[in-house]
Amino acid sequence: MATLIDSGHRSIDIDHLAQSDKVHRSVYTSPEIFELEMERIWEKTWVFVGHESQVREPGQYYATRIGRQPVLLTRHTDGEIYVLFNRCAHKGAQLVGDCSGKVKELRCCYHGWRFNLDGSLLSIPLEGGYDGTDFGKDDPQANMQRAPRFDSYRGFVFASLAEDGPDLKTWLGGVASSIDNMVDRAPEGDLEITGGVFRYEHDCNWKFFIENLNDLMHPMVTHQSSSLTARAVAKKALGADTPAPAAIEILAPFTESYSFFDNMGLHAFDYGHGYSGGKTSIHANYSDVPEYNEAMESAYGKERVDEIFAVNRHNTVFYPSATIKGAIQTMRIVRPIAADKTIIESWTFRLKGAPDELLRRSILYCNLINSSANLVGPDDQEAYRRQQIGLESQGSDWVAMHRDAGRDEDLGDGHIYAKGSSDLAFRNQYRAWKAYMMNGGQSDD
Amino acid sequence: MIEATDIEGLLFHHRVSQFLFSEARMLDDREWDKWAALFTEEGTYWAPASYEQPDPIEHVSLIYEDQLLRKVRLARFSNPNAFSLQPFPRTCHFISNIMIDSHEGAAVTVSSCFQMTEYRRDKPNQFNGRYVHDLVDMDGSFKINQKKAILVNCDGTQPSSSIYF
Repeated sequence: MATLIDSGHRSIDIDHLAQSDKVHRSVYTSPEIFELEMERIWEKTWVFVGHESQVREPGQYYATRIGRQPVLLTRHTDGEIYVLFNRCAHKGAQLVGDCSGKVKELRCCYHGWRFNLDGSLLSIPLEGGYDGTDFGKDDPQANMQRAPRFDSYRGFVFASLAEDGPDLKTWLGGVASSIDNMVDRAPEGDLEITGGVFRYEHDCNWKFFIENLNDLMHPMVTHQSSSLTARAVAKKALGADTPAPAAIEILAPFTESYSFFDNMGLHAFDYGHGYSGGKTSIHANYSDVPEYNEAMESAYGKERVDEIFAVNRHNTVFYPSATIKGAIQTMRIVRPIAADKTIIESWTFRLKGAPDELLRRSILYCNLINSSANLVGPDDQEAYRRQQIGLESQGSDWVAMHRDAGRDEDLGDGHIYAKGSSDLAFRNQYRAWKAYMMNGGQSDD
Repeated sequence: MIEATDIEGLLFHHRVSQFLFSEARMLDDREWDKWAALFTEEGTYWAPASYEQPDPIEHVSLIYEDQLLRKVRLARFSNPNAFSLQPFPRTCHFISNIMIDSHEGAAVTVSSCFQMTEYRRDKPNQFNGRYVHDLVDMDGSFKINQKKAILVNCDGTQPSSSIYF
């Protein structure tokens, strides 16, 4: 197996860079490695594109990217969704220049080529000009090209730019159940993306963000100043006996004890996926909303509702592009820009059939935790940024992932468990990273 | 917009302008207690995340704070473990185009344009947009019922920031 990749003046030895319990600093800092990640991970594996509720009606489109490539999620008049490259078949101009909208057809701003929302060509001005040439309206290359593979799991649309590979359901494996749990929390069994989006620029490598989500050794340090302060201010302002408002219920658990986070536990699966929490999480002790519980019980029956609520996960990572918090109905999406630049999008979901209070709590959560201008996110970003700068130093070539190495519990069927303070999530992500970088992710070593 | 047509109107516009300038100055001078005291008890600070955002309840906001959350943010400013505030950012708020949109009894709505330069390290960040202040004219001075800071790129990609626009 070739592990040496010739990249310009240097060889990149993937096998050396990502070891079972440590990773080389250059995976975060090297522009060459970033380029390879785009090719071998982002433009090969399943990447989250959008939610079906963003293109509910025929004619709707939503513009995004897979790795570096601009794509469109569309709903055609046949009712089906498509993922198309956002590029005119003619001279390559993006067909859609904004973020979302509803149209009858896609018309290029440059020479007026018109396309259906399934990508098929409708017309070319002065079509006869192509008569007798090697190009014509019936040429498949005259259509907008579709992503090689796209599929939806319970409303979550992913696409892959590789012709071959595991199907979406197989690839999701054990973390599909996190999507199930979020959707099942809707009395009507359906979700809707709503309430706007944050686009938050991070001055760091994309992997710092995705690694941090199930790093349960950081909240009590990084978020001390917001979480402890929130506890203290609320106690002083409201007294110890007044129930804490929702905002304080959200901020306070970030400084729970190490044993609390240990008990949340970590779960890891193939392809770098995983989640923290399960039976409990930092979202488990929010106040009940009685109307919501009633709506759930009349939809599913008490026994089933107890099962649904018994699952309380923190972050679930669909490596490398997306992460959800099912228990509070938010999602963050990773958009890598450069080795040291990443944009994180935050979205919120409405549980269909649930009282508005649930959406309001999700919005409040997103404001407090995921906003670029708020109390929690900027301290995470500061830590990533300091890592980005610190790892430029020759202090050591290695980043350690040794915590609790060798003490994972194999639950069978590719499901690995460790206590919350373990480095399991990092090791598992780098196992997948290495497989993708070495063999395009086709075998999960 | 209400145009000042007499000396009384001009004086009122001047009072409102001076209030906005001094509020901004308190932010630049880190006079947090004085600044917090400008708000009514129900007063809110709102930085929407979309340009014509209908509400701060069912749509995300860069910041939406009542008195309690303002206290949390302000208390964090002096916390030695607030890492994203080290070094603490310096700001310069520039306010212009001050217009009184409505004035009924004690209730005054004022729009203005602002530019805030924030400098913490490396290069300064620029935050620009429009303020809408809902003020109450009471006891010879103003109190803020709501300060809304609508960044011109509020729905665009934002850098980290931990202070008030």
